Amino acid sequence: MTGRILVVDDDTALAEMIGIVLMGDGFETSFCADGALAVDAWRVQKPDLVLLDLMLPGKDGIEICREIREESGVPIIMLTARSDTTDVVSGLEAGADDYMVKPFNPKELVARIRTRLRPLSPEGGKTLRVADVEIDVVAHEVRRGDESIALTPLEFELLVALASKPQQVFTREQLLEQVWGYHYKADTRLVNVHVQRLRSKVEVDPDNPRVVMTVRGVGYRAGATA
Amino acid sequence: MSGTLGGRLLSLIRRPMRAWRHSLLFRTVVIAAGATTLAIVIGTVWATLAIQSDLLGARRDQILADTKRAVDFTQTAVYRQAAPTDRAAVQQLRNSMTDNLATASSTNLILGLPIPGASTADAPASFTLYGSALVESMLSDGLREQVRTRPETQWYQSIALPGEDGRPVPAIVVGQQLEMPNVGVYEVYLAYPLDDVSETVRFVQGALWVMGLSLVVIVGGIVWLVMRSVATPVADVSRASARLAAGDLAARLEVTGENELATLARAFNRMADSLESQIRELAELSLVQQRFVSDVSHELRTPLTTIRLAAGVLHGEREGFDPITARSAELLYDQVARFEVLLADLLEISRYDAGSVELSLEEISMSDVAEQVAESLRQVAWEHDTELHFTGAMGDDVIPMDPRRIRRILRNLVGNAIEHGEMQPIDITVAQNETAVAVGVRDHGLGMRPEDSARVFDRFWRADPSRKRTLGGSGLGLAIALGDARLHGGTIEVWSQLGVGTHFVVTLPRGEQSEMESPIRLEPQEQIEAADGSAAGSATRETLVVRHDQEEGT
Repeated sequence: MTGRILVVDDDTALAEMIGIVLMGDGFETSFCADGALAVDAWRVQKPDLVLLDLMLPGKDGIEICREIREESGVPIIMLTARSDTTDVVSGLEAGADDYMVKPFNPKELVARIRTRLRPLSPEGGKTLRVADVEIDVVAHEVRRGDESIALTPLEFELLVALASKPQQVFTREQLLEQVWGYHYKADTRLVNVHVQRLRSKVEVDPDNPRVVMTVRGVGYRAGATA
Repeated sequence: MSGTLGGRLLSLIRRPMRAWRHSLLFRTVVIAAGATTLAIVIGTVWATLAIQSDLLGARRDQILADTKRAVDFTQTAVYRQAAPTDRAAVQQLRNSMTDNLATASSTNLILGLPIPGASTADAPASFTLYGSALVESMLSDGLREQVRTRPETQWYQSIALPGEDGRPVPAIVVGQQLEMPNVGVYEVYLAYPLDDVSETVRFVQGALWVMGLSLVVIVGGIVWLVMRSVATPVADVSRASARLAAGDLAARLEVTGENELATLARAFNRMADSLESQIRELAELSLVQQRFVSDVSHELRTPLTTIRLAAGVLHGEREGFDPITARSAELLYDQVARFEVLLADLLEISRYDAGSVELSLEEISMSDVAEQVAESLRQVAWEHDTELHFTGAMGDDVIPMDPRRIRRILRNLVGNAIEHGEMQPIDITVAQNETAVAVGVRDHGLGMRPEDSARVFDRFWRADPSRKRTLGGSGLGLAIALGDARLHGGTIEVWSQLGVGTHFVVTLPRGEQSEMESPIRLEPQEQIEAADGSAAGSATRETLVVRHDQEEGT
């Protein structure tokens, strides 16, 4: 699998090293070391995925993430040195799909990138329905009636995962494995934040969800078909 | 009914007792009122007695003078008249004598009695003023004896006269001799009621008591007011101290005036200011420390990531290197990994020191967590030819815990056990009771000396510096494990004996338990368990995570 990856990190040595690792796995890389230029670089390069350091000179990684999300659902993986602060949550809330805590190892980095770039393999039919929302899996489209709802690929995948097995209650760990590709216990904040983001887009009233239902003490499931 | 009545009585007694112990104000007022009452009782009694005796003395002197004047006047009148010769004259003389006595004295209670032996048969038996309440029986024999034998002296005595309402009225009776020439000698008694004196005394006494009582009330009130003006600021100080002690650094006192209480308030405020500034300083230091940890974290981790990626690339390519370069790449790769563990542990310890660790609690079964950890270490155990025996808890072992930290504790303990277990089986036991849930990790390896086992939780401490390290580790593992356990309100205890093995017991409380008792005994007692058969029941929950097979292993 090839893909073009934009590495936004002010530490040029690390950026170069990431480039070497990714090139070894057949990815094309481009670099940006200045936060203020990152969004422009993204617009010019149009990469398939962005690796984004949170602490950057010029413009903060969270702000960059938010600006990219306003224009695109391109996969964004945050790089952070701090796993236990609010940085992670605010990064995820700003729209990052996943995060990696420094120091990470090369295999893990590649695995995370591959998960985000893999094509979605639809299970079940081509069209799924959850509550009053219709999902066209092949066309990557979600609509309520005539109104189209724009989702990032990750949010789409999360919704499809839930909708393709409407009878099943998914634990956060199951979703982490299926959507994010984690095969061991990882941070459930990933699931919580993205479910919130998904709800804010697909629910009529996010405080009273009908599409992504919470099953207390277990996890989430798709809402009943209207 | 009687119970509640008794209870009410008890509370009636207890409340003042409590107030006595707890309220300075109450105690001072009671003491002041009590002391004043005592002083006033003594003063009043003394004043009453003094006034009474003074009044009585004056009255007595007046009475004696009155009597003397009357008797002298009558005697003179008797002498001036001619001596009576017949009964009629005697009778007349007696009548005029009585009249004279009544006129000259200020009392109507007059009694005259002839003295037998000194009177003739002609002497009238006795005389008394008409309507006089004074009768012979009221006079004591002693008084009469004195009056009869000592003619030149006045004698007096206190007696009780019947009053109008039947109550006895105190009185003084004065006796003296009166001579009727040729007829005889009379003992004459004049009685003076003292009701006016006792009336005055009673009035004075009443006035004194009223004054005393009002004094007690006034003194009590004054003391209460004075004490309140002192005790209220003291109570304010104590309340402010309590607030300060409870962590409210903004607690201050209002300073009014320039007196000692204002000085106290100012001193208190200065103390609070200094405390507040020091605590703020400490808090700032702690913030700086946390910021420093965070910055170090970021600054060190970024280059470490580069090094790690580079080492990973070199390590992946080592097949194509010459042997020396290949080995260097391996060493680099391994030591970078070790460095990373060390850095992570150091940062974790710094977080404990900065107090910036927060638990993310979930309700989880300890047996599940422990079994997962045992499973995850299966490969390591297998490589060390070690069996892991896992025994879950009987009953509910779900407690609030931060699973990441509990896993870290157990991985550390089991890892240590594998490393030092000398290939003997390792028992991992979970048990629970009402207060706590515990995990025991028991190896049958080398064990430690007592002085060593006391230091296992010290940072960077190793039981035997020469001992080979196969699983790496930073030397901070147990210190972090203990920190994690303490964050949960729990403990880790260790038992160890050279040549017998080591037993670590992690005990975590259920919820907010302050008192907890570990359901696992620290000292292992395999023999007893095997004997009483209690292990048979738990054996059903036992799973063998790793059993090393001889042929397969070597």
